[in-house]
This record gives sequence, C-alpha cells and structure tokens, in this order.
Amino acid sequence: MAGSDSRVPAFDRAFFGSEQTFTRIGGGSLGGKAAGLISIREALEGAFPGGAYGPVRVDIPRLTVLGTDLFDAFMDRNGLHEVALSERSDERIAHAFQKANAPAEALGDLRALADRVHSPLAVRSSSLLEDALRRPFAGVYETKMIPNNQPDAGERFQRLVEAVKLIWASTFFEGARTYRGVVGEADKSEKMAVIVQEVVGRRHGDRFYPDLSLVGRSFNYYPSGRSRPEEGVVNLALGLGKTIVDGGLCWGYCPVHPKAPPPFGSVAQLLDETQTRFWAVNMGAPPAFDPIAETEYLVEAGLAEAEYDGTLAHLASTYDAASDRLSPGTGRQGPRALNFAPLLDFSDIPLNDLVRRLLEVCEEGVGAEVEIEAAMTLPATRGEEARLGFLQVRPMVAPDEAVDIGTEEMTAPDLLVASTRAMGNGVEDGIQDVVYTKPDAFQAKLTRVVAREIEAANRELVALGRPYLLVGFGRWGSSDPWLGIPVTWSQVAGARAIVEASLPSMNVDPSQGSHFFHNLSSFQVSYFTVHHARDSDVIDWNWLAKQPAVAESELLRHVRLENPLLVRVDGRTGRGVVHARRKP
Amino acid sequence: MVRRNRAYNSFEMAQAQFDRVAEILELEGGTREILREPMREYAFSIPVRMDDGASKVFRGFRVQHNDARGPSKGGIRFHPQETMDTVRALAMWMSWKCAVVDIPLGGGKGGVVCDPHNLSAREQEQICRGWVRQIARNVGPLQDVPAPDVMTTPQHMLWMLDEFEAIHGQKLPGFITGKPVGLGGSLGRKEATGYGLVFTLREALKELDIRPQDTTASVQGFGNVCQYAIEMYLRIGGKVVCVSSWNQKEQKSYAYRRAAGIDLQELLDITDRFGEIEKDKAEAAGYEVLPGEKWLEQEVDILIPGALENQINADNVGRIASTVKIIAEGANGPTSPEADAVIHERGVFMIPDLLANAGGVTCSYFEQVQSNQNYYWSRDEVLGKLDRNMTAAFEAVAELAHSRKLYMRDAAYVIAVDRVARACRDRGWV
Repeated sequence: MAGSDSRVPAFDRAFFGSEQTFTRIGGGSLGGKAAGLISIREALEGAFPGGAYGPVRVDIPRLTVLGTDLFDAFMDRNGLHEVALSERSDERIAHAFQKANAPAEALGDLRALADRVHSPLAVRSSSLLEDALRRPFAGVYETKMIPNNQPDAGERFQRLVEAVKLIWASTFFEGARTYRGVVGEADKSEKMAVIVQEVVGRRHGDRFYPDLSLVGRSFNYYPSGRSRPEEGVVNLALGLGKTIVDGGLCWGYCPVHPKAPPPFGSVAQLLDETQTRFWAVNMGAPPAFDPIAETEYLVEAGLAEAEYDGTLAHLASTYDAASDRLSPGTGRQGPRALNFAPLLDFSDIPLNDLVRRLLEVCEEGVGAEVEIEAAMTLPATRGEEARLGFLQVRPMVAPDEAVDIGTEEMTAPDLLVASTRAMGNGVEDGIQDVVYTKPDAFQAKLTRVVAREIEAANRELVALGRPYLLVGFGRWGSSDPWLGIPVTWSQVAGARAIVEASLPSMNVDPSQGSHFFHNLSSFQVSYFTVHHARDSDVIDWNWLAKQPAVAESELLRHVRLENPLLVRVDGRTGRGVVHARRKP
Repeated sequence: MVRRNRAYNSFEMAQAQFDRVAEILELEGGTREILREPMREYAFSIPVRMDDGASKVFRGFRVQHNDARGPSKGGIRFHPQETMDTVRALAMWMSWKCAVVDIPLGGGKGGVVCDPHNLSAREQEQICRGWVRQIARNVGPLQDVPAPDVMTTPQHMLWMLDEFEAIHGQKLPGFITGKPVGLGGSLGRKEATGYGLVFTLREALKELDIRPQDTTASVQGFGNVCQYAIEMYLRIGGKVVCVSSWNQKEQKSYAYRRAAGIDLQELLDITDRFGEIEKDKAEAAGYEVLPGEKWLEQEVDILIPGALENQINADNVGRIASTVKIIAEGANGPTSPEADAVIHERGVFMIPDLLANAGGVTCSYFEQVQSNQNYYWSRDEVLGKLDRNMTAAFEAVAELAHSRKLYMRDAAYVIAVDRVARACRDRGWV
C-alpha cells in the first residue's frame, strides 16, 4: 500500500507558491500515513466540491514527504545500523542520528523550504508499518512541531533537519522496538518516510495553534450512555491534537447524538474533568536547545491564555454559580468549561455534520471503520472563512467474533474479574501471569513510580513471550498522573487484558486516551472497567493475594498462575469476565 | 596530468569573449575598459635557498581583475609554463564565475613559475612563504583571498596562512581557503564542485522535462570533481555507462564502459589518489576498455567533460552521438569556440563551465565566511546552502536564456558581466 507513488510529483521549491500541495523529496515508499492521505485525497475532493463544506474550507494541509530511500541512504552512509539496533538509550541513539550527515541530495530542497516558509511546520513519521490494517502503530513514533519563525533561514533549516533526524531516530527508540516485538515485526523491516507539513492554526502572540483539534472514529469500542458502537465517537480539544492523542482531558461525544448530555454527574464534575490546558507551538523566546525532545518547541497554556487570545468564545461555556448551570459562550464572568457548546449547538459552522460526512467518506474510501484526525481554525473576524485541515486517516479493526455472555456467567463462582463496562470483543485463553497494583499500598501521588515498575515488568514478560493481565487504578495512559497511571502504550504493550479499577481515593471517569485505546482495540486487548461501588463489578483481590509472587515491590505484585485464565468479552453488551479456573 | 593546448593566448580569448558579451549588454566605453583589463597586477621575485645550498629566484604573480563586488578570490597555480597572460585570463574568469553564482567576491588569480615535482617539501614551503612575504600587504581576508589550484594543495595553503599570520601578528584563517578540515577548512568542500555540477544538471533535466532515472551519462575524467559528480548523479537516479581516466604509465587515457552502468565503489577501489583507474583490474571487473576519446562518442543523454580544457573541439565535435541532450562542463574551458558553435547549432543544452563547476568557489566562499567568524558549520548546512545557491544561479541563467533566446553560455556570461558592470557603476567608478 505504501509503494512509491507516481501520483505524487517532485517537491517544488516554491512550496506555498506552488500549485502542488502534495509532493515528495527522494524516492522509495512514502510510508503508511502518507499513503493513507494520498488514497483519501481524491475521495475528499469528490465529496467536497471546490474544497468546501458550507462555509468551511476543507483541505489536506500542504505537505511534502521524504521517501524511504533517503532514510536508507542516511542509515547506510552514516553506518547507523549498529547504534540503532544496540541497547543504547533513546537519547544516545537520537544524538548519534543528530551528529550524522543528512543525505546531500535532499538538503537543497529542505534548505529551499526553510528559505521560503516562515510559519510552523509539523514533522511527522510515516513508516512502512504505520497504519497498515491491524498494525496501527499510532503514536509509536515521534512528531515534532517547529516554529520555523527564526529570522535567519540558516537557523530554520537547521531546526528542520534536526526534526527530520529525530523522526528517523524514533524508528529505533525503545518504545518502537518493543512495539514491533509484540506485533512480530523485525526491526530491519521498518523504514521511515517523513512528512513535513504546514501546521493549521493561527498565531496569537507567542503561541500558534488551531482553534480546535479533533479525532473522530467511526466505530466506538467504548460507548457510553445511549450511543452504540457503530455510531462512532468524536473527541475535540482546544489547541494542538497532542492533548487528545496523549489521552489528556478533552471533549468526547457521539456524533449521532451531539446534544446528548455529557457523562458527568454534576456541573462541578464537568468543570473538573474537561480540558483546562492546551498545547501550542512556541513562537516566542527560543527554548533550551534539546533537538531530541518532541516537545522542544511546544508550550502548554491554560484557559486564561486562550481567552486572552480570543479563541474561547466559540468553544467554551461559562459556569453560573447562582443557577449551577453552564451558559454557552464567554459573554459573562465566571469559570469557563470547554464543552464546545457554542460551536456544536449554536454556530453557523456545521462542525458535527462535517465530521460525520468526513467519517462516511473515509469509511467508504478505506473500506473499513476509520479513525481520522483534523485541525480547525474558526473565523476570527467577519468575512474570514473557517478551515478544516485534514491530517490523517487510518483503518480501525472491528470485532468479527461473536461472544455471548449471559447473566449467569457474570456470577460464575470462579470469576477473578467481571465488568459490565468491558471493552473489546473476543476470547483469550493463554494468560498465566498477572501484574497488579496492590490496593492497600496504592496512592495517587505514586503513579509515576508504579508506571516505571510496570514498564520493567512488561519488558521482562515481553522478552519471555508471556502475555499477562494488568490490573491498576485510575485511567490507564493518562497524561495527568493524578488521574491514573501515566504509562505509554509501549510500557504495557505485552498485556493481553487490562483492568481499570477504582478506589474511593481514585474515582475518576474511565479513560479517553485516543491512541492508547486505539491500540487496545487494534490489538484486541480486552479492557475492563471495575468500579469498587458497583455490585455487578467483581475483582477478587483476596484470591490474587494468595497466588505465589514471581516478583513483588511495595506497590506492585507479579503472580504466576497454575492454570491459564479464560478471558471473554462481549463487545455488543459490554460484558466481560475473567475466569480464574480455580476449583470452587 | 595537465596537457595544454597553447595555440591560443588565453587572455586574448577571455577578452574576445568579454567583448562579445559587452556587445550584447551594450556596455559603455568606460565600463568596457575597466572590465577588459585587470585592475591590479603584481609580479615579483621569490628568492629561495635550495636544498643544495644554491640560491634560486622564482617568479611569482598575483592579478586582481576586479573587486567591485567584494574581495578578490582565486587560486594560486604552481606551473613551469605559468605566464602573466594565463593568470590574467583566469582572474577575469573568476570575476565572472563569482558573479554568476552571486557570491560577494571579485576575481583574482596567482601563480609561481615552478614545477613542484622537482622541488623538495622544504623548497616548496620556502616558495609559499616567499610568495606571501612579497604580497602580504596586498592580499588578506578583506582584500584578496587565495586558494589551491593547479599543483597546489591544502598543505601549501597552510604554509601560506602561517606566514601571513606571522607577518600580521594575528590569527586570520579567512586569508586563504582550501585549508584542511579542522584547521580552518570547511566540511563539504571536497564534494562541492562535483555535487554542484549535478545540482545544475538536475535543474537542466527539469527544464527539459526529463526524469533523471531515464537518463545515462558518459564522463571524461575520474578525479575529485567527477567522482563526486558521479556519486550525486547516481543518487538522483541516473546511470553512468562510461568514464575515462588518464593512464600515467602509458601516457594516454582510456575509456571504461559498462552498458549496464558502472559501479562507482568498485571503480573507486581500483583508483589511485590522482584519479587513475587501474586498467587491468577494470578489465578483470568486466569493463570494456576503449581508447580515451571514446567517452565522447557514447550514445548517452548527458556528457560531462570533467578533466581538461579544449577536449571537445572542431575535430571531434561531429562524433558526439545524436542522443546527447545535455553537456555539463565540469572542467574549465573543455569546449573550444568552434565546437561550441556546432553544439549550439545542434540544440544541445549546455551548462557552461562558469556555472556548472562554480560549486567549488561557492564552497570556498562558505569556508571564508566560516573562517572569518571562526565558527564552523555542519556538512548539512554547507551542502544545503550549496544546493540553494547553485539552483538559484541555474534558474537565473536559464530564465535569461529563455526570455532573451540566448545560448546558455552567453546567458551565463551576460548575467555575470552585467552584475560586475553594475557594481562598478554603483560605486561610481565608471
């Protein structure tokens, strides 16, 4: 799917002045992400005549792709294979890549790009394995945003080349290698194309960001309320999409029921659990030099800054303490809540219809359920147009195996876990290892320590080829360590089933992290939400505590079972169980 | 090994070339006069105590043709047949070459009448230091910046720099270019001329709407310029089917042909540091060994004369295959005026020496900038800028050739001479 594509013309050094919006530098494959965009481009052009949907301009932001031949040349000419496949740390690998020479045949084009373009650029991975069906590789490799606004073209060029080298290096970072290990792909079979793309957004002082980023999925493995899985799900966030992709707080809703009440018990809870921080490209004073950090040129800001920038008006509601209600917009004083109500409920901009149409078009184009990413700018002044920049499409994996779990099974005597809010679908019969956080020792302030211990256990179990059940408290993959255990996907990639349990002291709403959950479903990892106060939910801590430990720390315990567990999840009803197969 | 055809006076030829361009540009009398002759010429004696104790006096030159656009720039040649006229011609060409790639330098050239083959290292060092002692007040980072040229090396440049710094009591690495990397030299310098040639070739192919991967080339010479030109040409997708190289023992050149395409690394492994391919080993590796001049007759799309001057001339121009669409001149003056007329007539796309091999001087300029700052760039930085400058220069020349229906060589000269003439006028000299 990602072969060298003759439909993509060679880079035009005029870039923004060129008629070509999608070009390539160098030969070879353009990688999965770029291939996805190529294949969907025509469908989008057909579905949105004149590149518009009502008052919204719809396009794929201008981009060029560095083909995999350049990656090969970079690796070969600099002799980087050895360091890349060594046991050296990510940082050492990244430094070795930074020191190496980029292929000279691409430098002129990159130099011209830096000379001509003065606005932020996103430098993204587009590897051969990325986005292939059932191997989603989402969020495994790096994306680097660069402000590209330095007065000196030489500076801009240098930063651009550094960003490209970081993406190349990320092919061999530990997370990526572990991930490939899990999916049975050899490190040598991976090659990295790199997308250099215009960032959709607007400059507000020292910050550059889109008014909103969105991730839409046409199938929802984690439905809530009255929404059904096939109705899909949309996540919205102010600023760069990093908030959604990293599993931060954002606004999720079902596109078929955009006005359905949000899953919050109270306005206070909504205020607590909606987005209050956002990401932007830092256009201000140069940050500390750190070419191997993905966030080198990013800055996080709060709602006060967004309000100052004038970007909240379309997106936020205001809390009125007197009535304990939210009123759409920012016309009055009071705490702001990012619930996107002005845009979803009252705006002339048909955002939800547009997203549904995009999902339809992409689903048809790809021939499977899809996940899409986009960024939008809204009119700041009268007469200005809204713009949706379409960033990515990738196929999801839909459940194709029917599992039927009746009420009886939910109360079977040998249950280790039972949940009425299980996600995923299917049967798993080979797990003999359980890694769990000890309920009596768990504290929210120690989640980072737990994450590190889990990573070590995961590494060991992956190396042994032993799948495991992972049990912990709060949101898995949360970027906020107070809401759950802040692991990345690669740190738990060997788990075949995961339990998200709650405690009276860790009682948050279930996880929303897009990529984390995309990975769960794509790998068909079963996911159980077990609430401590819900009668139908079960977790047998006592039985676990009696099992012999392979390893144990203050916070974490790893036990190995005599008989394999039987994991069953019914994707249609959301029921899921883990049978311990013990003698009653 | 440089073989020369001295049937013509090179300075007269350079002046004739200039006169033609001056006509096209309709330059006024004063401007013609100042550009037709060098602004300054220095000729001096360099006494050297030889190893055998005898004293010998060598003749040295430095010519600064024009420095309206910036400090003069040009190499120093060690050659037994060096003449003031050769140096004058080469200084004038340097003015045009720097101007065509739009770097802020003027044209200069220097030399010493000597044959380094017959001199010990100590004697050569004395010549270098003597040359600098004679001219030290009239050259320097802000006046005139020498570089290596025929039979001079980075080692010679270091001796000259050392003497210059001793005289001035300062560290002045920007005085001279072509220094070794680590001692004031620039990364990317060794690749610069060859890569630069292919950057212009790549742009010419775009101009003709031909994909590099659909082309083949034949190359004359296998020295530094051609080796790197071939490397970059292969990287952009082309195929080299023939390359010629000088055979010192037999005092003649051979062309090595392989229809399926040469293997660059394989040939480099059997090539010495002067660019001589070992004939027997090439034959054993399956290359067809042909007389040297056969490089010109190959049925290819691109010819790259990258060795000597006057190689395509009235006698052999008729033997160029009808398939040839582009000639990219890696060497200086490889095409005689008579042959040039025939090539123009045939409609072959010419990338003239002035433009095609200007990557070297462009990188020398980068080296000087780095040396003056005493801050050195990464190779990526150097080669990125080189590509940008060469491409911009090509675009300007091709656009002028297109808009005024000029032959590429004429267009290159027109741009170059016009830039220098404007600088003279803007300064109020004429």
